[in-house]
Amino acid sequence: MRISDIRIRKTFIDQFLWIIIAVIFTIFSFWIGTNRFLSGTNLINILLHSTVLGILVIGQSICLISGNFDLSAEGILSLTTVIAAYFMVPVKGFGGGGGFEWSPAVVIPIMLLVGTLAGFVNGLLITKFQMNNFIVTLSMQLVYRGISYLISGGLQIDGPPDSFNWLGSGTLGPIPFGIIFTPALFVLFNWYLRNSYFGRQLYAVGSNRNAAEASGFNSGRIIRIAYMISGFMASLAGWMLLGRVQSSYSKLGAGYTLETVAASVIGGISLQGGAGTVGGAFAGVMLLSVVDNGLNLMDVDPFWVNGIRGFIILVALIIDSQKVRYKGRELT
Amino acid sequence: MEKTINTKPKSKENGCILKVASIYKSFPGVQALQDVDFTLNKGEIHGLVGKNGAGKSTLVSILMGLENPDSGQIFIDEKAVESMTPKAAIKAGVAYVPQRVDLMDSLTVAENILAGEMPKDKLGFIKWDEAYSESKNRLKKLGLDLNVRSRVEGLSMAEQTMLAIAKAIFGEAKLIILDEPTASLPRKDIERLFGFINSLRDKGVAFIYISHHIEEVFEICDRVTILRDGKNIDVCSVSDLTMSALISKIAGEDVKEYQRKSTKKTQAVFSVKNLTRRGYYEKINIELKEGEIIGISGLQGCGAETLGKAIFAMEKRGIGDVYLNGKEFNPDNPNESFAQGLAFLPQDRYHFGLVGSRTVKENITYPILKEFLELIGLIRINDEIKVVKDYINRLGIVTPGPDQKALNLSGGNQQKVVFAKLAATKPSVLILHEPTQGIDVRAKLDIFKIIDELAASGVSIIIISSEVHELIGMCDRILVMYEGKITHEFSRGDSKTTPENILGAIEGENHKNAYK
Amino acid sequence: MKKNFFNKILITLLDNLIWLIVIASVIVFSILSDSFFTLFNLINIIPRVAALGLLIIGQSFTMITGNFDLSSESNVGFTAMIAGLLLASSENGGLGLMWPTALVIPIMLIMGTLVGLINGLLVTRLKVNNLVVTISMLIILRGLVYIINPGVSATKFPDAYNWLGSGTLFKFSHNGGQVSIPVSMIFVLIAFGIAFVVTRFREFGRNMYSVGSNRKAAETAGIRADRVILSVYIISGFCAAIAGLLTSGRMDTATPRTGSDWIFQVQAACVIGGVSLVGGRGSLLGALGGMLLWGIIDTGLNLMMVDPLLIDVLRGFLLLFAILLDTYKVRYLRRLSVDEALADTKIGLDHKKLIYD
Repeated sequence: MRISDIRIRKTFIDQFLWIIIAVIFTIFSFWIGTNRFLSGTNLINILLHSTVLGILVIGQSICLISGNFDLSAEGILSLTTVIAAYFMVPVKGFGGGGGFEWSPAVVIPIMLLVGTLAGFVNGLLITKFQMNNFIVTLSMQLVYRGISYLISGGLQIDGPPDSFNWLGSGTLGPIPFGIIFTPALFVLFNWYLRNSYFGRQLYAVGSNRNAAEASGFNSGRIIRIAYMISGFMASLAGWMLLGRVQSSYSKLGAGYTLETVAASVIGGISLQGGAGTVGGAFAGVMLLSVVDNGLNLMDVDPFWVNGIRGFIILVALIIDSQKVRYKGRELT
Repeated sequence: MEKTINTKPKSKENGCILKVASIYKSFPGVQALQDVDFTLNKGEIHGLVGKNGAGKSTLVSILMGLENPDSGQIFIDEKAVESMTPKAAIKAGVAYVPQRVDLMDSLTVAENILAGEMPKDKLGFIKWDEAYSESKNRLKKLGLDLNVRSRVEGLSMAEQTMLAIAKAIFGEAKLIILDEPTASLPRKDIERLFGFINSLRDKGVAFIYISHHIEEVFEICDRVTILRDGKNIDVCSVSDLTMSALISKIAGEDVKEYQRKSTKKTQAVFSVKNLTRRGYYEKINIELKEGEIIGISGLQGCGAETLGKAIFAMEKRGIGDVYLNGKEFNPDNPNESFAQGLAFLPQDRYHFGLVGSRTVKENITYPILKEFLELIGLIRINDEIKVVKDYINRLGIVTPGPDQKALNLSGGNQQKVVFAKLAATKPSVLILHEPTQGIDVRAKLDIFKIIDELAASGVSIIIISSEVHELIGMCDRILVMYEGKITHEFSRGDSKTTPENILGAIEGENHKNAYK
Repeated sequence: MKKNFFNKILITLLDNLIWLIVIASVIVFSILSDSFFTLFNLINIIPRVAALGLLIIGQSFTMITGNFDLSSESNVGFTAMIAGLLLASSENGGLGLMWPTALVIPIMLIMGTLVGLINGLLVTRLKVNNLVVTISMLIILRGLVYIINPGVSATKFPDAYNWLGSGTLFKFSHNGGQVSIPVSMIFVLIAFGIAFVVTRFREFGRNMYSVGSNRKAAETAGIRADRVILSVYIISGFCAAIAGLLTSGRMDTATPRTGSDWIFQVQAACVIGGVSLVGGRGSLLGALGGMLLWGIIDTGLNLMMVDPLLIDVLRGFLLLFAILLDTYKVRYLRRLSVDEALADTKIGLDHKKLIYD
């Protein structure tokens, strides 16, 4: 197989395959449920899920670009939402908060700070102690979720005040705020990564850490910052989710992790690091939403949806690993 | 200078075990081997020497079946081999011991020896006692005494090499290719290893001994083949050679040297005082004037490479002082080195020099991006492109544009990109490590020109390289490092500054007319 | 000389670290809680973690070859649920088929093994990264469990089925009460015994180490690495099915959550027990120690009435600690020979005496 063949195939897989799948699904959904595809509630629900997912995907894709996984984001989301609920709600409802009734103006910054700090801890373990990022973040997920269990006592905490909920439940006219917020965030980050010093460093470190260091970059610092961003995003997503569901429980956010990785990979971000864009990851989120929508319309049992999603994720990951094998040959 | 004669007895002509005739092999852009013959007799230790890029590794790859020659023939035991594959090579008895031995290091010595044939009882259970005693016996037969119960990773490097050789023998190897086996070995281990190799030789095993350490070649080899620029220059009995004669053959005479135009100024700019790092280099003293170019050369492991990286702060520096432009120079990391005016070109372009998947523009501006920043870290792209285009022009980088991925450029142009990156940091001192490695001849001239111009503009340059001819053409002075110390200094224009003398110094010879 | 001696001791220490930790933890808990060091309690330690122990065996096998199987916990839930559905009556959450145990157990074993086979094929034939494959399988299987039984537990299994997980042998009196030896304890010890013998005395076991240590060298020696890796994944799947049998038998119930969150414990126990993340090293005896440690910690903390949620957090930390330990241990062991070489270096010695001067 000649070099040119490999390049064409890679481009094909990179850009077109997933779009083709998305198009097929969309058409299929249209055909099956013509009058229901664009139905208000259906579409809205799926879009709402993707608004939270999207924020997490931003964090995950930044970590992936730097060449690392963040499998702990779920746990950070759980932890920060429980902390927020704990300090905000008066003692009432199913379980209770701590009765502090702090104002969201205080609690939100605390939430975001805790998330960033958690990300920093992840980054520290991985850069200073040189531990495997996959397993470290997998374990930290357990730790963070465990801490949130401790704080909430395993109980639900209901009823954050309205001034907190606006990110998740507020609307701009008829449109839920999140639907504008998340894409705007994507655009912002995509643009920033492309045009900023940090962005350049991130891609350099993810592509070739040694060469990045020989060019004067502090790769450990960049990776720690990536994890801090991911932690921040997790708490931001928690803010939105809690504001929407308005009840915090420690299992909140379960299942997001693999979706974030899948959306990133589908969107062109390589698990090897240094490739892909945040904007591409956005396309990945969109695709997953379209697939969800289509499956929904086809009246597929929700549990099957999970299984199929897992399957798509597996396929995406297989394709990515094949891409990497070709890419590896190109460079040598 | 008549040098020592090897007084070992000639190996008996026991019959030819390997013969290679008229091998041609080319890769894109370079003719690696040209009409190369090579013979190896039973019970012979045959040295294979030559500079980097002379063709040694290509020849070895062909012998091991990893590459196929464009034309030529291979004979093993007087029988022609149609096409050599790795499997066929093993079957034919060709074994290769790499520099970093390839054993299962978390397993015991016994298991490595008996891999695939562990003694089992009737029910298929492994009999460990027998395994230990059997492996110990096999080693004994070769005169080797190792602790078979210890894990391989717990053995010393020399023992690991000997084990690898023993394994090859057990695998019925008839000829064993040793690739730089003494690279990181202390002296007494080398003697032990040589004793072992000699005893095997006496039993009829043949060795191809590849090394840059000419002394060792003299010590252990019977004959030696010299490769240069892909050709077999000569095959001699070691007893018929003197060291200097051998060195001349390796160096060769027909080389075009780039003639440097710039001259150094008088202002002292950079000094290294008594730099010492245990295990790597000792009491290094260097003085550099503005615009001066000096070369540092030595065998692999002499410490020059580490020295370069350490000054740049890519590695630990050890104790001692360094001064740049009158001030103390003590950076904590490469970024600080750049900032204070010292830049380093790594030998490995792919892993340390360039971020291949990023663009030319990005690679060039990595260290200087801070100059183009606005507010929240945004880059002034227009200014950046201007600077990049300027460098592309000045250095003659051939690329469709600044947004081309760096890995798409040719080797020579890639190197120019790295040069651009370093030049953009406006260094006072530039340390280059093998700047012309892996670059075709035409691009090499371009690189020399760039170095020349940089020196003319006042940059002081240290070139760490094994290409002695290039150093002679470019440098005001050439320092030779041996076992961590600077042992010789050669000056430009001096009559004693010849390739032979320099190579001899590199080998650690003690000339009567020593220069320092 | 002295240095060598010191090194040898250190290596032996590092290799058997787990046992020191086990002994230490027994001492600590005995001090912290009166009811810890009683026969009744000690006998109960292993049955609690018997299922985990089987998973540890399976995971050790894959880790020794340098691969991971992170799907095993879902495989446990999957096989347990299949068995549960086939066994239980419809009121008790099953499909109402109520097939005999003698039929159900082989089915669940086959299903578990099949999952292992799929994992192994994806890793060896399609060459997909093993972490990716097994994590995806983790999610997919868990999803499948929910599909076949959304949220309802299956319970009240026949005694024959529960025998392995909760049955007992040899009743005898002690301290005025009745004590009996749990079947699961004997079973898991035997399982570890078999596993140990395989890794130590069977060629297949040694091949596992070879592949994990240096795949290229192993293949050169004639070992079919892909086959070995495929086999360990199959074994891991089989072990997961047995674990499913053990745990659902012990609890007399199979829920969609059976086996959840076990992967951390399995990993931690393996790594603390000396089965390294890098592959090619570790022993099943050490892994047994890891299982014991887990059981001790679990029982001990429970006796001390520690919040179970806190225990979760502690488990996470323990895994991190284990990984840190493993990383440093491997680095130390591998660097040994290079250090030796450098220490005796040429620098500082007199210039070599040329033989022929």
